[in-house]
Amino acid sequence: MSKHRKLFLALFSLLAVIPAWATNYQVGGCLAKLPNFPTIQAAVSTVPPFSTVLVCPGIYPEQITISRPLNLRGQVMFPLNLGRPVIIPPRVVGGGSGLQVNVTNIQGTPFAAQVLVANVAPVGLVNILGITVDGSNGSLACSSNAQIAGVFYASGTSGSVTDVTTQNQQNNGCGFGIWAENGAGPSQSIDLAGNSVHDMDNTGIVALSDQNPPTLTLTISGNSVTGNNNTQGIASENVSGAIKQNVVTGGAIGIADVDFFPQQTPGISISSNTVADIQDAPGIAIVIREGSTAKSNKIANVLTGFYLQGGNANPGPTLSANIAEITNTSIEFNCTTHVILKGNTLNDSLVAFDRVPSGTSLSTPIYNIDTIQTGSCP
Amino acid sequence: MSRHLAWIFLGVMTLAASAPLEALNYEVGGCRTGSTYVNFATISAAVSAVPAGATILICAGVYPEQVTITHPLTLKGIPSGNANRAVIVASANGNFAPNVTSINGPPFYAQILIENVTPAGVVNLTGITIDGNGINFDCPSLSPQHLAGVFYASGTSGTVNQVTARNQLSTSASGACGEGIWAENGAGTQTVNITNSSVRNIGDSGITATSSNSSGSVAIKTNFVIDTGVGFTGAGIADFSAGQVSGNVVTHNPTTAIITGGPMTMQGNTVADLTWAFDISGSDITVQSNYISNVQVGIAIEGGSPIVKSNTITHTSGCALTFRYNSNNATITGNHINDSPYAFANLSGPLPSHNVLFNVDSVQGSTTTCP
Repeated sequence: MSKHRKLFLALFSLLAVIPAWATNYQVGGCLAKLPNFPTIQAAVSTVPPFSTVLVCPGIYPEQITISRPLNLRGQVMFPLNLGRPVIIPPRVVGGGSGLQVNVTNIQGTPFAAQVLVANVAPVGLVNILGITVDGSNGSLACSSNAQIAGVFYASGTSGSVTDVTTQNQQNNGCGFGIWAENGAGPSQSIDLAGNSVHDMDNTGIVALSDQNPPTLTLTISGNSVTGNNNTQGIASENVSGAIKQNVVTGGAIGIADVDFFPQQTPGISISSNTVADIQDAPGIAIVIREGSTAKSNKIANVLTGFYLQGGNANPGPTLSANIAEITNTSIEFNCTTHVILKGNTLNDSLVAFDRVPSGTSLSTPIYNIDTIQTGSCP
Repeated sequence: MSRHLAWIFLGVMTLAASAPLEALNYEVGGCRTGSTYVNFATISAAVSAVPAGATILICAGVYPEQVTITHPLTLKGIPSGNANRAVIVASANGNFAPNVTSINGPPFYAQILIENVTPAGVVNLTGITIDGNGINFDCPSLSPQHLAGVFYASGTSGTVNQVTARNQLSTSASGACGEGIWAENGAGTQTVNITNSSVRNIGDSGITATSSNSSGSVAIKTNFVIDTGVGFTGAGIADFSAGQVSGNVVTHNPTTAIITGGPMTMQGNTVADLTWAFDISGSDITVQSNYISNVQVGIAIEGGSPIVKSNTITHTSGCALTFRYNSNNATITGNHINDSPYAFANLSGPLPSHNVLFNVDSVQGSTTTCP
């Protein structure tokens, strides 16, 4: 084959993965020349796969299902002050929630997702950027265990959620900001970056797989997650990936790294996060399991800095170069063995180490600690 | 003896004379004993007696005293049994008379006072707690007396590392006069490093650096400052000296996190859960790569020509940036703003370019206040 023919084939291959019909559409009419749709749902149901739907500033009272690969992007208008694009629950005459259950998750729990990404065909990514999803007045009161999520990536979907705001998913303790999951089938990958997640009443961000090995890889980075009362910030449940550079404050648990198949699945990386002001019981900054690594995190003003899990699995959790200050308990070992501590600094705590198994090396610089070690293990 | 040999001999003799025959350790609290330890009953007794440059080990325990340090030395907390907190608390005699007057005017009761250090040298504090509980002055708005956990007076230098300052409250209905760590400088020179420390439950400001002529250099790095300004005055970190404020975590204050007016760099700080994150005035200030989350106002610019770049400002209930007093000489670039009613408020100059905005209700607010 000649060089030119190789080049032609290479170019042809490149063109083949970039759909010729990819183009831009709009919702709201703020942009000249682009085809306009009256609602986001009408747009995402109509545009060709791999299109970009630009959403003008405004209020969009709708519950949206996306089932084809596309980009959904909020439009900021310069220098006009037209507000932001906000998706809210559909309005109901006479009051009541406009949200309806539209998906059942891999654990059999019903969800009313404000933006649902499900059954995407053809195969491709759904990327959501720069939109606000507000759950105000959408509460289902957790009736029949119906959950609410601002954004929900159902099993079998991949993509990214970037610079999105989710807020006010209040549902009698069953409200979530962003939920991503995958069950059996091909592995999926989802990036959540730079989002503002707050005023939910359960968990800010959930990533979930029920498979062994996990079928979902998450990168959760640079998000601001603000909780209160009994909320969790970020919950990673049996997935692969990384949780990094987030700022998680308020609530009962900052970052929870949970395992469904103890001692069988690889851990995740939790690095360079700041977790603070976790003061509601149990008040844990980071729950970390066996095989996972927490590195260079800063923890402040929490009841418990690290809560370790994993039993006798080898390797256990690894904590390196973290700083925990102003805590009741710096590290709750929970009798977890094979824990690796490297270069952490603990300062200003009532207790440095709780329930430490015998034989554990505690070579960690500690300062201003009322009780260095307490509790016992069987 | 040749001239060269004589010089070498004299040099060795001088070296031998300046080194003690047996290295002595100075200790307070009684957890270390033996012939190589010199024990003291109080920290004050130790700092008055040890030679310049000595390190005083302070056993975990409670020390009800007011400490004035006038020699270069190091105070270092050490563990005792299962405890590792040496805490200085209100002196038992209940005498809370001022022991120093600030260059700013007001008298201070300093729990640890570093002043008039001779011979010249540094005073370092590491691994100790200073608790102001029980010391609570009336704090009238006129002629108030202040309380400070640590006070570096004009002309003194040193490092505060891994220290806890807490409960310097001294609040009343008319004001708040409790300061965690305070460093000030007048006409002389000063270099103070405040690092890796926790400062919490403070009536006024957590960490303050002030200089009458910018001759002081104060580095405030990787501290954790929580619940300061509980009297609704003051800030987490108030720096009107020169230097840097970097890598700190400041949260949960009812007031401003970091306020500054001196020439400096503020970089890599995380600020969350409070009202104003940064309040800056003056020139030669760079505010870079800070992460701001869940605040009312992200960065307030009060004049001068600061550089504000590459900051991430997420979830503000008011303005992400506000330009007060016609502050239109700032350089605003590369900032990332998400989830804010106003990206730029009170802007009298051109709209800043090369910033990334998402979920802002108004790009440019004309409001005179930040809601």
